[in-house]
Amino acid sequence: MLDFLQAVSDGVLFGATYALIGIGFTLVFGVMHKINMAYAAASVGGAYCGLLVLKVMAGAPAWLVFLGAFAAGGVLGWMVYLTCFHFIPLSSPLATLMSTVGMLLLIDEVIVHVTNGMPQNYPLMFDDVMLRAGEFTLRGDLLLVFGVSVLVMIGLLLLLYHTRLGLATRAVSQQPVAAQLCGIRLVRVNALTFVVTGLLGGIAGALIGASVGMLSPLLTLPLTVKGLIVTVIGGLGSVPGAIVAGLLVGGFENVLQLYRGVTERDLYVMLLLFVFLVFRPGGIFAPKSGRD
Amino acid sequence: MDFYFSLAQLIGVHTLLGLSAYIVLLTGQVSLAQAGFFAVGAYTAGMLTVLAGWHLVPALGASALSGAAVACAVGFPALRVKGLMLVIATLAFGEGVRLFFFNFDYQVAVDGIRLGPLGGEGFRQIRFFPENGWGTGEVMLFMWVFVIAAMALLWWFDRSRYGSVLRAVGEDELAAQSVGINLTAVKVSAMTVGGAIAGVGGGLYAHYTTHIEHSSFNILVATFAIAYPILGGLRNVFGTLLAVIFVQGFLVEGLRFMGDWRNLLFGALIVLAMNLRPSGFLGGRRRA
Repeated sequence: MLDFLQAVSDGVLFGATYALIGIGFTLVFGVMHKINMAYAAASVGGAYCGLLVLKVMAGAPAWLVFLGAFAAGGVLGWMVYLTCFHFIPLSSPLATLMSTVGMLLLIDEVIVHVTNGMPQNYPLMFDDVMLRAGEFTLRGDLLLVFGVSVLVMIGLLLLLYHTRLGLATRAVSQQPVAAQLCGIRLVRVNALTFVVTGLLGGIAGALIGASVGMLSPLLTLPLTVKGLIVTVIGGLGSVPGAIVAGLLVGGFENVLQLYRGVTERDLYVMLLLFVFLVFRPGGIFAPKSGRD
Repeated sequence: MDFYFSLAQLIGVHTLLGLSAYIVLLTGQVSLAQAGFFAVGAYTAGMLTVLAGWHLVPALGASALSGAAVACAVGFPALRVKGLMLVIATLAFGEGVRLFFFNFDYQVAVDGIRLGPLGGEGFRQIRFFPENGWGTGEVMLFMWVFVIAAMALLWWFDRSRYGSVLRAVGEDELAAQSVGINLTAVKVSAMTVGGAIAGVGGGLYAHYTTHIEHSSFNILVATFAIAYPILGGLRNVFGTLLAVIFVQGFLVEGLRFMGDWRNLLFGALIVLAMNLRPSGFLGGRRRA
């Protein structure tokens, strides 16, 4: 029982990063009705760029690396928008799907090329802190991951619901044409959405690096799949859904890792997705009026 | 010469993979499950020739059937969701198949040696071609018989009523439904045909490489499968063939002199190609 609780809590804490990745997919989907397949790769790429801070300034504190990843994520997000979405007509969904897959491969290969394929150590924060309650422990670095994720999510929700940009974003995601008629510049909102999701991704990548202890280009594909699964389980386009689903998937996979081992774990996550597709295809927070 | 034969074999296998995604794309569905069907076909054919001692031709028939059966079974629940949800559902299915084979052990002693799939180590010693003394040229001809058959089949589909129905569904589901087309039947049948083609492709691939493992069927293979028809355009099957030759022949082999930089160029060229020609090399003005 204690093992079970431990697995659930560790998984849920780590699941916060899945939630961040899921939010990135879901926001872009909400605004443009497109999937940005390069998102998880750009997030990991942002985290790698954070490491450049250590190159420039040896012995820089870990929070500076995180800040670097945050900023680099935003820049990468904008670049992904420019290369994969801006010049491609909205009416060809296959083209943007393919271009972002191309971008995913490109980012992966750039990482492999620059680092010679070696995994890079990532600065740890609070890894020596352990909260104990009898046998039950909470790892400090996972708590940090969770805490930062929650802060970032609160920031995002404030941005979405209490600023003019957020209002414009929500307007575009509800009715692009009507929003444009009200004088909202679609292109600008789309580009800014990519920057905002990129910032989130950079932080998510850095947090994953910090909790795993290293970064490797091998992280990008599983992270893409997990992020997409979280998006579907939470309901495409729903930010609260992505948060809940991220924590759920994190806890679920960690419990199955405990009972079934690490090689079978992801198989059950896929099964969970299919259960949702069959019984609740709209996800946990399915919007009331069904849209594609 | 052997190098070119072997390149032609690779192009053949990838063309089958691309064609299996092509027919599904005609109905407007993006399936990332093709690598899964490919894997099912590869393991089926490999196990039948190695463990049961079948000849390759019936084994390929069996892999077509198993690919088709799995595709049909996946088609029903997965095609309930549309568009981008389907992309994710099929992606997860493909990953699920890969993980299944990652955990799949079935070893039998043949002539005192234990053969068969062994989890993460994969399935070694699929030696039908060398054991029967087939040279690379013969193997290449054998493979291309299947590739040409599949292309002819899809070409004929395109010219027949069935092809028009597929494209009608792809263009506008609502309009197709209102003239009495059964959407589910059309989509699942396209998925099934695609599964059969991918199954044959997988069977040939297993015997061409002689060693398969779960990582030979990852998401990259699935994205390659849809990349070919999208890059080549959906006007006809030759677009897919052209895209395979461009990617496997030019990008992967032709640019080998560039060493590491080749991989960088690969992703960048896909991005560039989609920016310049959103509906593919041979794509017309029709909405993909």
